[in-house]
Amino acid sequence: MRILAMILAGGSSPALSILTAERAEPSIPFGGKYRIIDFSLSNLINSDIFNVAVLTQYKPRSLNDHIGNGKPWDLDRAVGGVRLLQPYVSGEGEAGAWQRGTADAVRFNLDYIAEQRVDTVLILAGDHIYKMDYRPMLRFHEESNADCTIGVRSVSPYEAHRFGMVGADSSGRVTRFEEKPRRTLSRMASMGIYVFKGSALVDWLTGPGAGDVDFGRHVVPGMLKAGQAMYAHGFDGYWMDAGTVQAYWEANMALLAETPALDLYDPDWVIHTRSEQLAPAFTGAAARVEGSLLCDGCQVFGGVTRSIIGPGAVVEEGAEVSDSIIMNGTVISAGARVERSIIDKRAQVGEGSIVGWGNDPTPNRVMPNQLNTGLTLIGKRAQVPAGLKIGRNVVIRPRVVVSADGGEVASGETL
Amino acid sequence: MKVVAMIMAGGAGTRLTVLSEKRAKPSVPFAGKYRIIDFTLSNCVNSNIYNIAVLTQYRPHSLNEHIGIGKPWDLDRASGGVRLLQPYQVGGGTQVWYRGTADAVLQNFDYVHEMRAERVLVLGGDHIYKMNYDRMLRFHEENRADLTVAVMEVPLEETDRFGIMSVDDELRISAFHEKPKERDKGNLASMGIYIFNADVLEERLRAGAEEHPDLDFGKHVIPEMIRDFRSFAYRFEGYWVDVGTIDSYWETSMALLDPSSKLKLYDSTWPVRTRSQERPPVKLGPQARIHNSLVANGCIIRGQVERSVLSPGVYVSPGAVVRESVVMNDAWIGPGAVLDKVVVDKEVVVGSGAQLGFGGDFDVANKLGPDKLWMGVSVFGKGAHIPSNVRIGRNVLVNASVEEEAFSPFDGFVPSGETV
Repeated sequence: MRILAMILAGGSSPALSILTAERAEPSIPFGGKYRIIDFSLSNLINSDIFNVAVLTQYKPRSLNDHIGNGKPWDLDRAVGGVRLLQPYVSGEGEAGAWQRGTADAVRFNLDYIAEQRVDTVLILAGDHIYKMDYRPMLRFHEESNADCTIGVRSVSPYEAHRFGMVGADSSGRVTRFEEKPRRTLSRMASMGIYVFKGSALVDWLTGPGAGDVDFGRHVVPGMLKAGQAMYAHGFDGYWMDAGTVQAYWEANMALLAETPALDLYDPDWVIHTRSEQLAPAFTGAAARVEGSLLCDGCQVFGGVTRSIIGPGAVVEEGAEVSDSIIMNGTVISAGARVERSIIDKRAQVGEGSIVGWGNDPTPNRVMPNQLNTGLTLIGKRAQVPAGLKIGRNVVIRPRVVVSADGGEVASGETL
Repeated sequence: MKVVAMIMAGGAGTRLTVLSEKRAKPSVPFAGKYRIIDFTLSNCVNSNIYNIAVLTQYRPHSLNEHIGIGKPWDLDRASGGVRLLQPYQVGGGTQVWYRGTADAVLQNFDYVHEMRAERVLVLGGDHIYKMNYDRMLRFHEENRADLTVAVMEVPLEETDRFGIMSVDDELRISAFHEKPKERDKGNLASMGIYIFNADVLEERLRAGAEEHPDLDFGKHVIPEMIRDFRSFAYRFEGYWVDVGTIDSYWETSMALLDPSSKLKLYDSTWPVRTRSQERPPVKLGPQARIHNSLVANGCIIRGQVERSVLSPGVYVSPGAVVRESVVMNDAWIGPGAVLDKVVVDKEVVVGSGAQLGFGGDFDVANKLGPDKLWMGVSVFGKGAHIPSNVRIGRNVLVNASVEEEAFSPFDGFVPSGETV
């Protein structure tokens, strides 16, 4: 089998608020030093797949910087390696030909697939957090002589409405596919991971499915209806779609458990990332740190409880951080308190200020359906002045310099 | 001006005992994730010097692996970059080891020619410091010098440990005194960092080699050049330390934990680069207590760590205490074990309840090496297995790869000053 992996990394993910304000979702920091896309990239090389294309569209700059020539994943190769594929103007008068969905993005790059002389295409999402060996799925695909094999995992019936639900017979052949059904008998949800026979994919996207935009909504149901050989391959390991702020925060906090479901310390399945060259983590004489992750280059002089402190972040003396995610280079000044918050990169929290203050549970006024669990978000390079109190469910947008007037920002506000 | 740096990394460093038993001294881990040579290599690239030769001889495997093709320092270059120079046979079956530092450079003078270098910067691979060589090169040019020696002020009472330079008002060197017993020679000590004009250097090396087969910079080349050539002293002010002994290694490590430490590891304008292993962040368990410590990626801390330096991948079990200690990569500290003022090399396994660095008799020097271990620091060699509940005193040396049986003659207690 000659395999090309295509990672779909172009979506805009508005539900992630400030986290995706300046970057694509696959590029969001996770677990301190990682980015979400590191999991897919590491899974690939750990599965001996070294021919990878990353399809970008929405705010790709951070992702471009991160992947670069693929060195951290040993994907800087003479043969294969990683390619970043951007949307392009075809020169045939197709003004504004942006990619409208996952399948559309792949269709734009069919010539790239043809050039690769591959017979199998593995389609992955760049925004899932999981550890998966793709080789058993590829073997299953080949043995069943499938046109398409869908990666599936079992979910509780309450979650079925969020996924494409798959029904299959005992040989694994797909008999039913329902996209986000309200009720279903099936327990198997598509993970958004597909293996296609190269020719079947190309033929479909240029033939019967020429108008298809999305894999889950159009391509899979369409091919099934047309009677193509579709199979489902079960996966029972850790898998997480951190598509909302709450899910993202929970997935990070889950890493702090004694034996987390997602084991980052497994030497047989290393998650690779582009690391900055930084000194080891330093804890000062008065520091207290428990139940937390500390990244290289961070310096802790205050208290840190159940939190993730990113590379180069500083928690000054007397500052208290709990149940929070503090990203790269952010400074929590002396005496400040941060509770149940996500603070993006290189932000400043002034002396004695409080982020995540009080008990007022008012949901965020701009996005009440997504931000109502008491998490406060501070965007990249935002500055919180000294002595300010910021309530719950507050969003401070990137680069905003908050004024100290009034002394507090009420719960649910967006600045 | 084309410059090559030649880093001397071939010495044995015997005073570091077990730490340099299986690796060259420049390759000894330091400050958690670094190796000693990282400081010199990073100084070079931070000073825009990209043509570097590392001269190895003593147990180079660890160093070879660490430097590799030089990726972490951006020294994997099409032209120039880092080159590892090993001793080689000269034909006719004669095996010629490097007999001295200058001899090593002479044997590799082809490299200098090949690089078409006009200046040769000679460096030690076993010093920890941050220095901009570019400024020293400029000083060398401005003085139209043939030789420039970097010097630093040392306390007068320590001058007998160094090569001391006497200089005039323009910093031209007038005399050189190797480890002078008298205190009247001034206090400008050579740091073992030299810039030579390549042509002069070659001529001096060829002339010197006839007289001294064990040609050495400090002993032969420098003193002779000072008499006949324009030789200047470049004053360096800043952090510089030679961790030559276990005690100074331990003290230097502890000094990193002082917030006023002069060695700024967090300074982004002069980053110290190293080959980092891909490791997850440091994980602290719910009952972990940690303060005043430097902890590298991949450590899992469930016990208590204070005033210590931990390399990547160290595991501290619940109830274990690590105090004033240096613990290297992937050591495993069992439940309830206590480490106090010890240096633990890579992959050491400490059984549960063991006490390393036990008792108050800090002044009982090691019996086999009283000149090497006498300040109370106990050392544990790479891969040693320490049995459960054993108590080990001060200034104890445990050799690399020692198995648990080796402790049975001691019956659970290894007194201070012993060697296992």
